[in-house]
Amino acid sequence: MLKPYKLKDHICRFCKLFSLDDPAVPKALFEAEAIKPDLTGFPYPLPSKKGDYTCSAKTGEVLWFGASNGLTRYDEREERYEDKIMYFSADRDLPDNNVRALLPDGENLWVLTEKGATYIEMRLVSAEEKADILRAESEKYVDRRGMKTQKYLTEGRNLDSILPYGHSDNDGCFTATYAMGEIYRYAVYKREKGPDHPDTVTARKYATRAAEATLLLMHISGRGDGFVARTYLCPDEPVPDDGIFFRKQGDTAVCLETTNSKEWDVVGAECFCGAEMPERLTKLYTDLGYSHDGIVYKADTSSDEISTHFVFFKVCHDLLGCDDPELDEILVSTCKRLMNHIIDNGYILRDFTGRATSWAKWNEEYFNTDFGYVDACLNASQVLMYHLVTMDITGEEGKWRESYDYLVNEKGYADYGRKHFDRLFQASISGEFDYPEDIMYGDHMLATCTFFGLCTLEKNEELLAKYREGYKSWRSSIAREHNPGYDIPYMVACPDNDVDIEALATWLYRTNASRLAAGVSLIGRHDIPVKKLQAGTDEISVLLPPDERFISKYDRNPFDYKNEDSGGIMCVESAYVYGFAYWMGRYYGFFE
Amino acid sequence: MKNKLYAVGNAHLDPIWLWRWQEGCGEVLQTFRSAVDRIKEYKGFVFTCSSASYYKWVEEIDPALFEEIRKLVKKGKWVPVNGWWVQPDCNMPDAESFARQALYSQLYYYEKFGKICKTGYNVDSFGHSAMLPQLLNKGGMKCYVMMRPGNHENSDMPENLFWWDSADGSRVLTYRIPEAYGASGKKDIDRQLSIAGERAEKSGHGMMFFFGVGNHGGGPTKGDIEYLNELMDDGYEELEFSSPDEYFEEVCAGQLDIPSWNNELQHHASGCYSATSMVKQLNRKAENWLASAEKWNSVAAKISDLPAATKAFGDAWKEVCFNQFHDILCGCSIMEAYDDVRDSMGYAMSIAAKEENKALLKIAGFVDTWLDGVSDSVSCNERHHCRNLNFPRPIIVYNPLSFEVEQAVRTYHPSARVTDCDGNDVLFQNVRSSRSNDSHLDTEFIAKVPAFGYATFWLWHADAPVEKFEKPATSLRCDGLTVENKFIKVTFNEKTGGISSLVNKEDGKEYLGSESCVPVVIDNSEPDTWAHNIFKFDKTLGEMKLDSIEVVENGDARIVVRTKHVYNGSYLKQDFILAESAKILRVKCKALWQEPLTILKMPVTVSGSNPVSAYEIPAGIIRRKCVGEEDPALTWGDVSADGKGVSVISDSKYSYDCNGNTLRLTLIRNCIFADHYSDRPAADFNYTDEGMNRFEYALYPHSGEAENSVIQHQAAMFNNRLVAIPVGYHKGTMPKKQSFISIDKPNVSMMSFKFCEDGSGDAVIRLREMYGKPVKTAVVCDILEAGFYADFNPFEIKTFRIDKEGYVRETNFLEGIPE
Repeated sequence: MLKPYKLKDHICRFCKLFSLDDPAVPKALFEAEAIKPDLTGFPYPLPSKKGDYTCSAKTGEVLWFGASNGLTRYDEREERYEDKIMYFSADRDLPDNNVRALLPDGENLWVLTEKGATYIEMRLVSAEEKADILRAESEKYVDRRGMKTQKYLTEGRNLDSILPYGHSDNDGCFTATYAMGEIYRYAVYKREKGPDHPDTVTARKYATRAAEATLLLMHISGRGDGFVARTYLCPDEPVPDDGIFFRKQGDTAVCLETTNSKEWDVVGAECFCGAEMPERLTKLYTDLGYSHDGIVYKADTSSDEISTHFVFFKVCHDLLGCDDPELDEILVSTCKRLMNHIIDNGYILRDFTGRATSWAKWNEEYFNTDFGYVDACLNASQVLMYHLVTMDITGEEGKWRESYDYLVNEKGYADYGRKHFDRLFQASISGEFDYPEDIMYGDHMLATCTFFGLCTLEKNEELLAKYREGYKSWRSSIAREHNPGYDIPYMVACPDNDVDIEALATWLYRTNASRLAAGVSLIGRHDIPVKKLQAGTDEISVLLPPDERFISKYDRNPFDYKNEDSGGIMCVESAYVYGFAYWMGRYYGFFE
Repeated sequence: MKNKLYAVGNAHLDPIWLWRWQEGCGEVLQTFRSAVDRIKEYKGFVFTCSSASYYKWVEEIDPALFEEIRKLVKKGKWVPVNGWWVQPDCNMPDAESFARQALYSQLYYYEKFGKICKTGYNVDSFGHSAMLPQLLNKGGMKCYVMMRPGNHENSDMPENLFWWDSADGSRVLTYRIPEAYGASGKKDIDRQLSIAGERAEKSGHGMMFFFGVGNHGGGPTKGDIEYLNELMDDGYEELEFSSPDEYFEEVCAGQLDIPSWNNELQHHASGCYSATSMVKQLNRKAENWLASAEKWNSVAAKISDLPAATKAFGDAWKEVCFNQFHDILCGCSIMEAYDDVRDSMGYAMSIAAKEENKALLKIAGFVDTWLDGVSDSVSCNERHHCRNLNFPRPIIVYNPLSFEVEQAVRTYHPSARVTDCDGNDVLFQNVRSSRSNDSHLDTEFIAKVPAFGYATFWLWHADAPVEKFEKPATSLRCDGLTVENKFIKVTFNEKTGGISSLVNKEDGKEYLGSESCVPVVIDNSEPDTWAHNIFKFDKTLGEMKLDSIEVVENGDARIVVRTKHVYNGSYLKQDFILAESAKILRVKCKALWQEPLTILKMPVTVSGSNPVSAYEIPAGIIRRKCVGEEDPALTWGDVSADGKGVSVISDSKYSYDCNGNTLRLTLIRNCIFADHYSDRPAADFNYTDEGMNRFEYALYPHSGEAENSVIQHQAAMFNNRLVAIPVGYHKGTMPKKQSFISIDKPNVSMMSFKFCEDGSGDAVIRLREMYGKPVKTAVVCDILEAGFYADFNPFEIKTFRIDKEGYVRETNFLEGIPE
């Protein structure tokens, strides 16, 4: 076990934007002299071309350089490159990138650009404070009946313009991860502050709500067979045209007309939805005045949901369930029902059509297809993890053990994991793409959940060694992200392996204190090389700190040059990316 | 079909081996003609051929034939493979050479055929260094075909098909040919088909089967093709004419789990890394000189009207790349061939010399060296120069390396005083020159020069009226046969001439386990030139006897101890040079060697237990077992034990062995030219290293193991010395000292600084991580108006293309041109 890394308070950017006619903008800013900085011999790469800098200012020991494509902050006292030189750009930090004048205001700075002004505060913030700020934002703006994924705005950068509805394809996955972050927070507070401390009580409240929302998705279809929905909508929410949706009415749910349902020829198809659902969970929408009728749920659920749900079962059972027997009972029974579904259906998630959903397939038949051949390494490991979690939280073996042993001993599932790198690399040759760049980044969280679960639960040394090998075969692509949300679970699961903890600290320090996806500029940066990938896309060849790149979930290539925020710029994202990483790190003692 | 056999028609073409290049060129033309004819005659037949240089020969000599080939390539009937200029030796060229092999070849293929080669193909090369996957990947190749070592030479590595990984994270899908790259005739074809068939059955994947007359070219005969057609017509369903490209594509599209390997592929011919010292020396010198010269040309072209000499450097590099062909660089061709090699390498180095000189003088012209009053009328009585002795003369010292260097540098004339451009006195010493007239003395002074930059020094002639000044203190001491500076202390044995003690003054410990540097003569009568089937050179004939030992120089800048050892009619003279500020003991050697079928080795024994040996290889460092096997290396080998290490650096050698604590550099291997499993019928043999050999090596004691020392820096300095240029007095716009690049992490160095081959005017900078430690670095280059960050995996090479606005793209060796 590494010695805990002491996270210090770190500067964090807070930018407030103004229109040019806003009376709050000081007149002196308009009159400030633009003094072109002399950057001859400047020792570090600069985000803008030296000749493009037109003005400069000093706040304390810090120098600011304004350019025609953004603002640069230089503090030579800092140790990390990322902190010595910081870049501020439109739309997140500036109204536009054409900086005209700078005006110091104590340690803060007024920036005049062509179309507006910005007031920049660089506040010292602790990692925990940042977690609080982000949670508050998510709870206030992102929450949708306990689900925490994203919300859309009608006006860019204006949180007050948030739309009351919205959904994500993977609401279950993201909400489960948010829940885990808050459950870890609760466990940390309980350990450090005691169970009755107000912070602990608050943490429990938020953790419980997210856990309930996650569990509800495992019941909302009302099919009663363990089928899990991707998400659900209340009757007054518009139904998007991006999947298979069912509207519930009484005991019957009817498939709605969408592009996908037409392609599948299932428009109007009916299925049972009258199974009993735990009232504690349905209260999330009944308390708002909705009934079960009219609820629309999204089917064709993927293994992303299922895998995060199983790890969530484990975390929630261990850390929250112990203090909430009612919730734990729901959780355990839900887990058993889902596991039964998977085993009884021959290791697939069976949709209403009787066939497997597109991506939740863990059977050998799928592994022997061309696509499944590559997927097999992760999917076989996933389903083993589900078994271990089920055995662990139910305290039962029986059917679960029998099935697990069958998959391990008869079908060789434990040997698939370590083949991941080879098979994907092989696919990159025949598919003419670059590995590890041109890949499906969402799989990183899937692999993290899978191998974290396997490596922390398997007691058999021989199998554990295989699972650790499987985990390591993902590192060539995962490690380059330096994402603590991936690296902390890896350190827990494979404690003998090196992880760049400084890089993880940088990630935490430099994550924005808001998930408002207002967009930043990357095209035109002078200090970051760009490379073209075989598949034709561009990638930056150096990882930028999170506050200088797009805002997204854990499902994007952080080197993406296109640099568009996941939900576009009219979006506020869930804070799970930070909370999960930080609180898990705290819980396991990697950070203090 | 899992057991499919891919019949790859090819012709192995050695452009030089048992014949000279003119013969090889003719062989290429005849083979290509024949292959075109066979393709036209036989439906389904596909021909595979490597080496861009061969295609270039054909294009120049027989453009009509070349045009036919272009059409066949377009149709997929002719498949160029291996995006390198030749099938080089894969152990001795340095990383930049491999980059150039790919650059010139793949761009040639791209220009002529509209595509680059996807498959690397070195079927006859005698060994493959551990970082080759990276060198192939970054040249645009993801798959590789090789054959040596065979299973009888290395049974640890996987057979048939395997993933080959290098430390930077690169990998190539590698096919190891089971037995032969050129089956011909029914019997031979039957045998190779049978082997391939058995292996396909056993492995569960298809196998390639290579046919066609080779070595001296030829290719698939009518008989071969007709026989294969007969087999196919007779129901041999698994068999099909194909190419390596098609093989890899089909295999990868299937479902198979194949083993992986993450080490070097050795050994086949252990003697090849020491045979024919001349060609190795030329290779090292040309590689370094071309790289340095092009860097300086690029600077000069960027800041002045001097044109970029990109094409001239390309022409020069192509000569070097050609001479890296495995039978040439490995020293196993006929003696006459090396006359051609010397001319070819001379041509390349002449380009380097001229372009470097032009560039350095051009840059110097911008440096302000003016001294008021220096143009006043003077009367000069000296024969060889005219100057006003009242003024010091400016010398600009250039450093081609991307880190600061402090090193002794020599200039013409003795001096009375030397200062740097800030007016600080610099240690110097007037040393005996190589001439025997004039003053007989030159000045050697300790110059500190910034990274990839220059510094101006001022030298007052020995006859100048110099005011009294305080000489800087020197740490050099000489007490009998013990010499020391601030870093090391060395004691020589007056009876043997060996080094009896080597103390690293950083920790005060003795680093030698026993007396070292007494040259040892080894019997080499049994091995052929390649040393086939022999992996250790351990039949000792005896040590050379000391003839004389004396301290020949003892000054402020350096101390020189000269030894002379003799063996029969041969001698070895060594000047052990300890310079102020040097962490190495430099040894300048002159050997007159007249002992047929012998090897001369220089042993160094480190003290301590549990020794580990490490070596520089192209683009990396490798560790090997200390079991006495002869192994290839680039500029250094190292043996460390108990936290103490001694590296042996060389300026021209490539072969070492390490048995226990003793590392031995192979200095001379005097075998018969092109002696291939021969019974040596009587003749007046010529020997590969017969006559006068001049070379240098150095000892570098360091604490810790090689990867934690600064051995890569020391070896780079040893092989790329500072260059002193005398200049005139003139006004200038540039400062007296300047660095053209800043790389802020010491484990990252610059391999290359050039202009892009597409004539766009974009610059290309190639950097590499040297010690196997991942790192992020900041690079600033003001003359390109560029500054950027770069992340490196262990031993990773990265190539950056910088446009005229200073915007940077990361590319590979191909400079982004085929994109």
